[in-house]
Amino acid sequence: MYRRRWPLNLVAVAVMVVVAFPVYWMLVTSFRPNSQIRTAPRFLPIGTLDNYRAVFERDHFWSSFANSLQVTLLTVVFALFTAFLAAVAVSRFRFRGRLVFLVVVLLVQMVPAEALMISVVKVLEGWSLRNSIAGLTITYVAFVLPFTVWTLRGFVGGVPRELEEAAMMDGSSRLRAFFTVTLPLVAPGLVATGIFAFIQAWNEFTFALVIMDRPERETLPVWLQAFNFGARGTDWGGVMAGSTLITVPVIVFFLLVHRRVAAGMTAGAVKG
Amino acid sequence: MKTKKVAAILLAAVLALAACGSDDDEGAGTDEGGGASLEAPPADTEATLRVWLNGPDTPDEMIDMAKETFKEQYPDVTVEVERQEWDGIVDRLTNVLPTEDSPDIVEMGNTQAQAFEAAGALVDLSSARDELGGDDLVDSLVEAGTYDGSFYGVPYYGGARIVVYRKDLFEASGLSIPTTMDEFVAAGKKLQADNAATPNFSGIYFPGRNWQATLSFIWDAGGDIAVNEDGEWVGELDSPESVAGLETVQDIMLNANQAPADTDDAEDFLAFCNGEVGMLMGPGWKMGQITGEDGCPGKYDAVLGAFPLPGSDGEVAPSFLGGSNLGISAESQNPGLALAFLKVLTDNPYQTAFAENGLIPVRKSLLGEVQGDEAAEAQAEAAQITRFVPSSENWAEVESGTILHDMGAAIAGGADVQEEATRANDAVVAILNGN
Amino acid sequence: MTAVLSAEGTGTPPVLPDSRRAGRSRRPRPARSRAGLLPYLLLVPALAALGAGLGYPMVRLVVMSTQEFGLRQQFGAPAPYVGLDNFAEIFGDPYFWDVLRRSLVFCALNVVLTLVLGTLVAQLLARLGTVMRTGLSVALLFAWATPALTATIVWQWIFDARYGVVNWLLTRLGGDFEGHSWLSQPLSFFFVGTLIVVWMGVPFVAFTLYAGMTQIPNEVMEAAAIDGAGAWARFRDVTWPALKPLFIVLAALSTVWDLRVFTQIFVLQQAGGITRETNTLGVYAYRTSAGNDFGLGAAIALVMVGITLLATLFHLRQMFRQEEV
Repeated sequence: MYRRRWPLNLVAVAVMVVVAFPVYWMLVTSFRPNSQIRTAPRFLPIGTLDNYRAVFERDHFWSSFANSLQVTLLTVVFALFTAFLAAVAVSRFRFRGRLVFLVVVLLVQMVPAEALMISVVKVLEGWSLRNSIAGLTITYVAFVLPFTVWTLRGFVGGVPRELEEAAMMDGSSRLRAFFTVTLPLVAPGLVATGIFAFIQAWNEFTFALVIMDRPERETLPVWLQAFNFGARGTDWGGVMAGSTLITVPVIVFFLLVHRRVAAGMTAGAVKG
Repeated sequence: MKTKKVAAILLAAVLALAACGSDDDEGAGTDEGGGASLEAPPADTEATLRVWLNGPDTPDEMIDMAKETFKEQYPDVTVEVERQEWDGIVDRLTNVLPTEDSPDIVEMGNTQAQAFEAAGALVDLSSARDELGGDDLVDSLVEAGTYDGSFYGVPYYGGARIVVYRKDLFEASGLSIPTTMDEFVAAGKKLQADNAATPNFSGIYFPGRNWQATLSFIWDAGGDIAVNEDGEWVGELDSPESVAGLETVQDIMLNANQAPADTDDAEDFLAFCNGEVGMLMGPGWKMGQITGEDGCPGKYDAVLGAFPLPGSDGEVAPSFLGGSNLGISAESQNPGLALAFLKVLTDNPYQTAFAENGLIPVRKSLLGEVQGDEAAEAQAEAAQITRFVPSSENWAEVESGTILHDMGAAIAGGADVQEEATRANDAVVAILNGN
Repeated sequence: MTAVLSAEGTGTPPVLPDSRRAGRSRRPRPARSRAGLLPYLLLVPALAALGAGLGYPMVRLVVMSTQEFGLRQQFGAPAPYVGLDNFAEIFGDPYFWDVLRRSLVFCALNVVLTLVLGTLVAQLLARLGTVMRTGLSVALLFAWATPALTATIVWQWIFDARYGVVNWLLTRLGGDFEGHSWLSQPLSFFFVGTLIVVWMGVPFVAFTLYAGMTQIPNEVMEAAAIDGAGAWARFRDVTWPALKPLFIVLAALSTVWDLRVFTQIFVLQQAGGITRETNTLGVYAYRTSAGNDFGLGAAIALVMVGITLLATLFHLRQMFRQEEV
């Protein structure tokens, strides 16, 4: 298993190329002047920085970035916290309504979000939360909860309950045991769902478009639409440059948290 | 049992909280709205007026000009103009207009306005119509702004369609500007034949989804989309005249064109810049787009020309009138102020500025002022005869259902014209009649 | 769900997952404890978030589906109750059944491809050295992180009839693909669509499965290897049972998402093809609402929930069977 890794590495490289090619294409395009984008393909990421300049110079880039960052981080934190508690409740206890809760949560996941649009906006309007970070965050947390709960439930189920019981025998309360024992052990699950929640919130467009309609409140995906002039065509260079920049924070977030997956691997090797 | 009750109470509480968080309008309509009348408020009024303008269409200088003019009347009123994008504007308007947070003035595309007017989203401006321009306002834009006899949407600016062409290719083929539809088609075919060596060349660049251009041919042949007879929409797309127009379209698409069948005209200027186009049909600003920074500045500047699409009878062919209308939100707290601002926007100085920027002013008396390059003049000529889509509140559904797009794409692909026309006709009529 | 370790530590061979069940039946310990109010308290934040964000909209969705609700109603006009008329309209429309059939086939294909490829990539991740693993992870992450809209646009460019790389490459390789349009025929349209959806879905499946695999302690895997089990046997007897619950969750979720898929199809439709022939459920629902018929849109949404429930019935039964351990 540890020898002769090179065939595996070769496969890995091939997969990397296929997977990353469109992203690479996006990068290459972001360096091409607009008039050349819809012409014969070019493969090298050289050309002009005009598109990036256009992105930074366009109004509201930094405010949109700040808005996106706030909403996304808040969504991730609240969603993970809430989902962890719910996952624990559903995995470790038997109580009336447990199955109902799980089914309801899954049903929520099944509803096409666009159909809920006007009602969600009405609710937020009633609370004066339109054009606010809080309003958008609540919406996003509600949307990512079903998946997060279901997945974390699986991870919590994978942690032997004996570990919590051991901690309780040492004097800890049940609740505390969940945080000191279970939480670290589901770290890989938290990372996976955390990245998922991050990406969902960071890239979401449809609801952000309508809930944040004041230019200074927009999030990045909505702001990016400014490069689309409808009937007049689109500033493709700007779109690609903007999109490239938009993926950067996600990569940063991933690099910050992904090592926890490996940590989870060693933590999982616990003797009962 | 106790835990079940707790859960039930919890659930009910949460739902109740959410429900009372959203005020369901109790019969709110146009009268509930701002409450105030359309009377001009006193000159010392203090307020903020929020205006939504869409896209890059209104130049910044014009906005500044309007604000300055308005400041002379109302020095203590701040006018906040927020730039919105055309993409997604209908979604935003649908969700913001019924709320207290609504802007005072909104801009809508003329094909979008009817739905909002019918829904009661805007203030009835019938009483102020004369002050806003009255009969001097261009008819088809007024039509777009009128619902059920009441006037809601003030015309803002218009745009007619023109043909942009390559003078050098014309010269090389010995062509002069066509004056009838037949000459136009023939010119396209000749260009196609003479430039066959150029890959992907189109004598007349005509992508299948360019429905606005297709309409000109339908109208020119005497057909139409649908007509309203006593409140019932009767389809005309499958009539012999419409089909004749569509057959001309197909003739061009198959014999004088190599544009992709299933795209629209948003990127035609790129094909033009690649040297693949002899003539194309588009809005008035198309020439500016080709010579502008997004296109190929300097490449074809010297050989660009424009003329209005000629009709079969020697006059200009009926042109699809684009443009937008402005409305006052029913939820506005300052309808009187908003109306005063609208007057500034429809007044001669402002509208003349549009004319100087190559857009069609909404006042018939100013149509002659449209100046600038050939494109502007061609547009002014084309604007003599303009037509519009059926003014129905359900038109939005025809567009979202992409019925005309699909019909065009199929025809461009060589499908049977009568079949496609009938299919599209049935779909359009069903939607317009609210089925 | 995971491999339980030999608690005895007496040198007996590692206990494989299935014996956990056996072990359970030997021990008179309930699967879960009844602990009064605590589980409910733990659920409160989740319920509050769901209720606040989506509670009322869900209720309203059901109500609207029984009403004639258009733009006028959005602005305050009363909404007439029409019972099940909206549903009758949906089921009575032959076009709906076309869309449904198309969506089901598309969804099935995408789910299978995503899961199979995702599992393979997860396996790959597990076996690589740190450097390569990080490299592959970053590549996968880029794919996952790219906004759906942008990704679809780029893919569409890659398959563009005039300027696309694919046609460029195929022409160079000798085929006659100059100007070949990939979007004008529905079958080829959905080929591109599948490519995009699977490409966007695999990273997520791969990461989640890989995370699940890290919960399998090394000792178990090594012990199995020492016992002489080959790669396939290790997968079948150690990895798969451990991953199965997670896998079923992912299968269910993928089904839900791929049935609902919207952005990718919508953006591709704008780029080409004949919309009528390429509408899937998600886009169909959107176009109806965009046509200002919110009541009908709500009914379609509910129908989609029903269909999705049916499609995931198998997964749900599996998941709940796991519960009764």
